[in-house]
Amino acid sequence: MATASSASWRRVASDPALLGAIVVLWLMLGLFVLFPMAHLLERAFVDEGRLSFEPLLSSLADPSHQAAFINSLILAASVGVLGTALGFLFALTAVRAGLSRHWLTLLDAAALLPLVSPPFTTSISIIFSFGPKGLITHDLLGLTNVSAYGFWSTTLAETLTYFPIAYLTLRPILAAIDPNLEEMAFSLGGSRWRIFRTVTLPLCVPGFANAFLLLFAASLADFATPLILAGNAFPVLPTQAYLQITGLFDFKGGAVLSLILLVPAAAVFLLQRYWVGRRTYVTVTGKVGQRSRSRAIAPWAGAALIVACVAVAALIVYFYALLVVASLVTAFGANNSFTWHHYHVIFTEGLPAIRDTLIIAAIGMPLGGLYGVLVGYLIARRNFPGRRLMELAAMINYALPGTIVGIAYLIAFNDPPVALTGGALIIIACYVFRYSPTGIRATVALLQQIDRSIEEASSSLGAGSGETFRRVTLPLIAPAFFAGLGVVFIRSMTAISATIFLVSISWTLITVRILENMTEMALGPAAAFSVFVIVVVFVVVAGLSAVLARLRTPAAGAAARSFLGG
Amino acid sequence: MAPVSIRLDGVSKRFDHTVKGEVYAVRDVSLAVAEGELLTLLGPSGCGKSTTLRMIAGFEEPDAGTILIGGKDVTHVLPNRRGIGFVFQNYALFPHLSVFENVAYALRVQRRDEASIARAVEGVLELVGLTHYGRQQSHQLSGGEQQRVALARAVVFEPQVLLFDEPLSNLDAKLRVEMRGQIRALQKRIGTTTVYVTHDQEEAMAISDRIAVMDKGSVVQEGTAQELYYRPRTEFVANFIGRTNLVDGHVVSAGDVEIEGVRVAFSSGLAAGERARLVVRPEMIELRAAAVCDGPHGRIVQRTFLGEKTDYVVALGAATLQVAASDQYRRPLFEIDQPVGVYFHADGIHVLR
Repeated sequence: MATASSASWRRVASDPALLGAIVVLWLMLGLFVLFPMAHLLERAFVDEGRLSFEPLLSSLADPSHQAAFINSLILAASVGVLGTALGFLFALTAVRAGLSRHWLTLLDAAALLPLVSPPFTTSISIIFSFGPKGLITHDLLGLTNVSAYGFWSTTLAETLTYFPIAYLTLRPILAAIDPNLEEMAFSLGGSRWRIFRTVTLPLCVPGFANAFLLLFAASLADFATPLILAGNAFPVLPTQAYLQITGLFDFKGGAVLSLILLVPAAAVFLLQRYWVGRRTYVTVTGKVGQRSRSRAIAPWAGAALIVACVAVAALIVYFYALLVVASLVTAFGANNSFTWHHYHVIFTEGLPAIRDTLIIAAIGMPLGGLYGVLVGYLIARRNFPGRRLMELAAMINYALPGTIVGIAYLIAFNDPPVALTGGALIIIACYVFRYSPTGIRATVALLQQIDRSIEEASSSLGAGSGETFRRVTLPLIAPAFFAGLGVVFIRSMTAISATIFLVSISWTLITVRILENMTEMALGPAAAFSVFVIVVVFVVVAGLSAVLARLRTPAAGAAARSFLGG
Repeated sequence: MAPVSIRLDGVSKRFDHTVKGEVYAVRDVSLAVAEGELLTLLGPSGCGKSTTLRMIAGFEEPDAGTILIGGKDVTHVLPNRRGIGFVFQNYALFPHLSVFENVAYALRVQRRDEASIARAVEGVLELVGLTHYGRQQSHQLSGGEQQRVALARAVVFEPQVLLFDEPLSNLDAKLRVEMRGQIRALQKRIGTTTVYVTHDQEEAMAISDRIAVMDKGSVVQEGTAQELYYRPRTEFVANFIGRTNLVDGHVVSAGDVEIEGVRVAFSSGLAAGERARLVVRPEMIELRAAAVCDGPHGRIVQRTFLGEKTDYVVALGAATLQVAASDQYRRPLFEIDQPVGVYFHADGIHVLR
């Protein structure tokens, strides 16, 4: 039966709860998504009331900006390739190497750790390891005069940070390839390598493309890693835009640079979402045959995979262990005596940042969760004029690199009529509109599994749309709500790229304090802050997972995983 | 509550189809359901019967026409203000609520007090034979039990109108027959005006006061089961309701028609020499031993012994006839390829115009 009848204003108007929700959401989307974007474009392209591309052209002509643009693309492509390869290695090991559940859980934990960490953790550890006084370069190899800064260290840090995205993308695809398919090719006399090359790999091609684009976008938007590790020799766009604004107070130049970043970011986003994202060769039939242990991988190859994964996981664990150690010694590398001093520092001098971050996360979390569920519900279930447009508007801040969003907010909310900079509200709004789309998508996915007739039943039994939402829909999409909460909380604790433009004397963030510590070379407190954030995130995620486990709805497990996928 | 009537006047509904553009799911449907009546919308899948029902419920909004319930125009009224009990094909029970809370839902929405809710829910659970099921979760029940919960949930708040959307199609054959009896008994007992949608003609005939047959978005004929069976207005209705033989007869005179050379005393109302399209039900044809019968003989092509009757397929001239013989206990069955005399009971035959 055909769906989607024409939307009617009359129907919407007779439903006050629906009308109210739509109006409020559009007002908020207008204020916190469209208004800043319009301001950014205006600042970049309008000069004394006239449209002008001169700033854009001169910015493009600047050799240092050209270098930053090229560097950004090279970095993103490298991280895309390496991260996809690493993600595939982990996915293949998880699906085909025949590991027991316990080992798999451990491997998962190591692989996913970077996704929930504050942005500088890998960078700090890389400096500790490979810097002039680095544990590996200096103490172990006895090298002097080495630099931990530049292209390679940035690529390494970003690859380790973002490869879990590729892992999460590729693993379900590999898992969905029926081992029987490989078995069949095997029975036809193909060698294992040949089967891998002609059956398994081709089936993964859309997954590779998808993972590559996701990593490319993540690296392109990454601000924290290059700020610490790229150094002067390897400028990239987000850091250049940041320096343009904080160093030179050139808002127009920053706006223009961030818009140059927008071009590849938007291209990759559209490519990923509307082209690759919809291609998959793997079909889920719901019919699971005898899942014998796959013989598609030779025992020695399986062992090699496991060894490689364990090596990578060990590197990650080593980096985190280093972080913990560095937070507990006086001056890592120079004076390795034990001390609680750094923790004392963060809980005294650093306390305002901790307090502010927790307050902001605690307020943003429920708002973001509710917003995600509400928008997801309206998009998936209600028919009203402008529905597609609302979906698009809700995705904008999520799709854009944080640098662009941050600069847009800074420009839009710095002066009347809506002067919000300096307060907590603007930071909360930034997080809610930037990180709730995960909740939106989780809600949409969940609602697609819940038959519409259940809500129709409620409606026929006398409940209005608001009451139906409260009594029926909300309990059923609770898993998506908690997933949305989790993502907003994690990002509120760990994000920096957008909000670094929005902090003030009265409201600051832990991540910004970490950055300040890093630039002052106060690495001990930076490490202590990072450990603190990781512990808090871990506790909250564990708590939310426990809540999800109690919900006992079939979708809860999937929602729990989507904490990390976001 | 006194039963109310339902009226549809010129109701249409279009859908956007990706390939065909705008298509009519329902086109200019007018219907009247009397107070306390059970009307069935019967038709093949895609005929618009469910869409019509959903417009009565308010889940879909008509593009044209008006819908009246109890004389009140409800065309653009939201479903929750219409006072309808709807029973869905897939039961649509609230998965997060117990059986009791599912049934109590409408009463909770109405903010009734706890004691009257308990009384009403227990009463209606007893009515559908689920007295001690209140504390169970809906997924613990069988399909038939779930559908009875759905039924209880739809009637507990004494709706003005009951609507059923293929409520039995997920149940097995035996349970279907049992449930339709229960639904009909309950509907008669509470006397609520009801519209029932099904594609199963036997179910429609068993349960309805009247049936409206739909095809391609329009109502092609309305009437009682007997009217539809004996006086179908179109070939579609003749074929959809029961088994039928559609044969061409040559009008010989005012009182005689010839079917494949067999003379039948039947006044068709047509002029001599014209062709008449005739509806002859299988039980209106009698087979006799060829020896006792003049004129052209038929030949047995297929025989299916079903106990209470025997179905034959008989070739007669250019026609292939389906015949149901219910007197086979009196005589030996006809054999395949055996020539037989074919005798038409003129009083059952109906002419399509």
